[in-house]
Amino acid sequence: MDLKQDNVKNLDACIKCSACTALCPVAAVNPLFPGPKSVGPDAERFRLEGIEMDIKCLNYCSNCKTCEVTCPSGVRITSMILGARERAKQSKHSDGKTLQHRFRDLVLGRAEYLGRLGTIWPSMTNTVLSISLMRVLMEQILGLSRHAPLPSYHTKFKPQGSFVQSDKQVVYFPGCFAKYNDAQTAQAVVKVLEHNGYQVIVPNFHCCGVPLQANGYFSRGRENAKKNLALMEPYLKAGLPVITSCTSCGLALKEEYPELAAAGAEYIGQQTYDLFEFLWELHERGELREDFQSVPVSLGYHAPCHLKTQGIGTPSVRLLRLIPGVQIQDLDAGCCGLSGSYGFKEEKYDIAMQIGKPLYQSVQQGVAEGRFQTMTTECGGCQVQIQHGSGVKTEHPVWYLIRAYDL
Amino acid sequence: MIDYEVVIVGGGATGVGILRDLSMRGITALLLEQGDLAHGTSSRFHGLLHSGARYAVKDPISASECIEENLILKKIAAPCISNTGGWFVQTVEDDSSFVEQWIKGCAQAQIPIHEVPLSEAYEKEPLLSKEIVRVFEVPDAAVDGFKLVWANAKSAKRYGGHYKTYHQVESFQFEDRRVTGVIARNLLNGEMLTISCKIVVNAAGAWASKIAAFAGVSLEVICDKGTLLAFNQRLFQRVINRLHTPGDGDIFVPHETITILGTTSEIVDSPRENSPLKEEARKLLAIGEEVLPELEKYRVIRAFAGVRPLHREDSDVPGAAEEGREVSRTFALLDHELRDGVRGIVSIVGGKFTTYRLMAEKVTDWVSDKLGNATPCRTAEECLSEVPNTVHEKARRLLPCAAAEKMIDRLGEDADSVLAEIERNPGKGKMLCECEMVSVAEVEKIASDQDTHHLADIRRKTRLGMGTCQGAFCTYRALPLLWKDKGKYDPIEKELTLFINQRWKGIHPVLWGQQLRETELTRAIYASILQLNDNRGE
Repeated sequence: MDLKQDNVKNLDACIKCSACTALCPVAAVNPLFPGPKSVGPDAERFRLEGIEMDIKCLNYCSNCKTCEVTCPSGVRITSMILGARERAKQSKHSDGKTLQHRFRDLVLGRAEYLGRLGTIWPSMTNTVLSISLMRVLMEQILGLSRHAPLPSYHTKFKPQGSFVQSDKQVVYFPGCFAKYNDAQTAQAVVKVLEHNGYQVIVPNFHCCGVPLQANGYFSRGRENAKKNLALMEPYLKAGLPVITSCTSCGLALKEEYPELAAAGAEYIGQQTYDLFEFLWELHERGELREDFQSVPVSLGYHAPCHLKTQGIGTPSVRLLRLIPGVQIQDLDAGCCGLSGSYGFKEEKYDIAMQIGKPLYQSVQQGVAEGRFQTMTTECGGCQVQIQHGSGVKTEHPVWYLIRAYDL
Repeated sequence: MIDYEVVIVGGGATGVGILRDLSMRGITALLLEQGDLAHGTSSRFHGLLHSGARYAVKDPISASECIEENLILKKIAAPCISNTGGWFVQTVEDDSSFVEQWIKGCAQAQIPIHEVPLSEAYEKEPLLSKEIVRVFEVPDAAVDGFKLVWANAKSAKRYGGHYKTYHQVESFQFEDRRVTGVIARNLLNGEMLTISCKIVVNAAGAWASKIAAFAGVSLEVICDKGTLLAFNQRLFQRVINRLHTPGDGDIFVPHETITILGTTSEIVDSPRENSPLKEEARKLLAIGEEVLPELEKYRVIRAFAGVRPLHREDSDVPGAAEEGREVSRTFALLDHELRDGVRGIVSIVGGKFTTYRLMAEKVTDWVSDKLGNATPCRTAEECLSEVPNTVHEKARRLLPCAAAEKMIDRLGEDADSVLAEIERNPGKGKMLCECEMVSVAEVEKIASDQDTHHLADIRRKTRLGMGTCQGAFCTYRALPLLWKDKGKYDPIEKELTLFINQRWKGIHPVLWGQQLRETELTRAIYASILQLNDNRGE
């Protein structure tokens, strides 16, 4: 998350092949965005000369990181773009945002505070958010699209259950979405791990920092990351794995936390696991409980962009296929468009919907043709966006393990 | 009846400087250049606008001239200059007694210097070696040879001056040991041209002895080849000089998006010997390491070489004339009537890019005196070009900021017509050369320019193909635009091969690391997809 980049590995490694721009979901639908190569490595050479790009261009990047997955030279293009955004924000020049958008980004970056606020009286929050007049006002005052699928709030996740005491321990990093919007899924993750004999430790983590970073609050993002690292450090030192069920939190822990100058940074990268990556390793070691009941369901699967960036394939697809009765197909239809809070913004909503269109169509077609009944994906943002775009119910894959284990 | 009062031979900085000065004083003049303007030494150098500090110890006259001209050019040629400032850094290897001499020399030449605390130096230039002892700031700057030469040419044109590129002088006409005309060949169509004049100015730089020979005059110019490296990125924000006796590879100049490191110094037989070599590149990297550790891991996009025309007769270091660095960098105006008994011709030799204007002034003073013209020189006061603010605003509206500013700096007032085209057809605002941000409309405008005859001419005027990819993508993209001006660029396949080979000339000495990967990609495009080696299209 420390965005100071290595100009040899990044700037010098780019051979201008344009593969990133060819596969960028935003550039494909938005002619005003010249693509990651242009605003990344191309513009960076000019930025080193002190010439800034149009900030609006930088803000079109949705931080999906498809470019980084695509780049044959290993250039961290998105990090370069975010770094440029950070410097643009720090510089005396205007960052090109209106006061309204600045306030909106201030709010959207703070998923944690929103979560705390929203979960004080979740039903009240949800009722208010569902009033269309309210959404019109929010669009006008905050610049939040009235059509955007804002996630509903539920009672805040508090780890509960049997509190298994075990010498096998893991740390669970639920992330804001599970914590404030989807506590039941967080609870399901805990249950599955406990069912496999693990004691699940859930310190009172803060937001991972990705939403802050994506909305331009870089130093706040780093502060959060350092606070979280401090909470994890004793466990990391003891060699405990850190499990994430949100693919964006997972990516931040794996790729950005190790770059922080803070205790624990040297461990976090290699000790962080996506839930299904962890379970699959248990399976490979013969340590996974595989007393599955049959779950007769056919699923369409969407791989979140930040899961792809982790470079671990699609472990949930492999694992769910171990469950008798489960049929699952990876739709491989690109980004859902939402990218965290990008698609909530009024000026980005249409772009997000256009980006996700091939996916929504693929989902609708699959259901219409009877190839699958419902959708599954790890990322909470993808879940709400796919439901919004296609009308098909979308859940976290852990729920099929819950049914298979009959928990 | 004469065609022009003066014919200038040589379209480098000095030649165009003279053309402008003469034209401003109302003297009719024609400049003849065998290639494109600024194709020679005037673009094959560091791009350093000297403060004079480099010459403070050994060459005080050059030092004084440089600082005076430095301040004048920053005023009159601002769009061509990036006022980066410069540092002289003393490493642990460098002799402290030289430093004391240097401080005195700078004071004598009135070059303002001030010492920079090391903590501040490392903060401002984080890549600087930790083996630095002292750092001094001087008023060095980066100057763009292409832009400055073209800005002079355009200004001269506004004052009625004429120039012809791709015209090679073949002989002179005489009348009673007086040069009365110039016979030149148009290299594009082979036509011969005879121009009668009162005075010929030989400003041919490294080719000056060849031109003097047409007048039966011998003139010794030492061809001192200097090789330089262009790095893919700005490594430093200011010019970095080693604080020691001037030597090889001891200057880094941040130039636009790149950094130039140089130079070597080697006496060669002919100005055409300007091919950079791999050994020279390696040598420069090894020396540069002392200022920027691990320099070899930074990507070098190309090497290039220029030939400094040094004038031996100026050397005040006896017996040292064979060593290029030992020859004075001041210039000399050679009145061939006094020197050789041939009237109607004057040669201007030696000197530096930084002092081109002063050289032009001295020549023009001499010419004016001969012609009885009493108009004073105004080139130290009058700006080369001024682009109205409205053009800047329009550019920022139509193009990404980096592209907008760069284009205006390159094209000056011509930027307006490019912007008008983009306004008519927004698609032409797209970047044709993405590395250096050159729009389709800009390339189209320059391609159709009457002074443009080759892709390389477009490159010199726009930076097309000079960035990271070294022409891999922009070259084939530019071809359809050349097709529009078909007659001029025929056969287009030859134009393509020529350009790719010119790029290759600078790439092959630095063919390692990331630039090797880039070159493989380029090879895949041109040798494989476009089958360039098989489709010569003769």
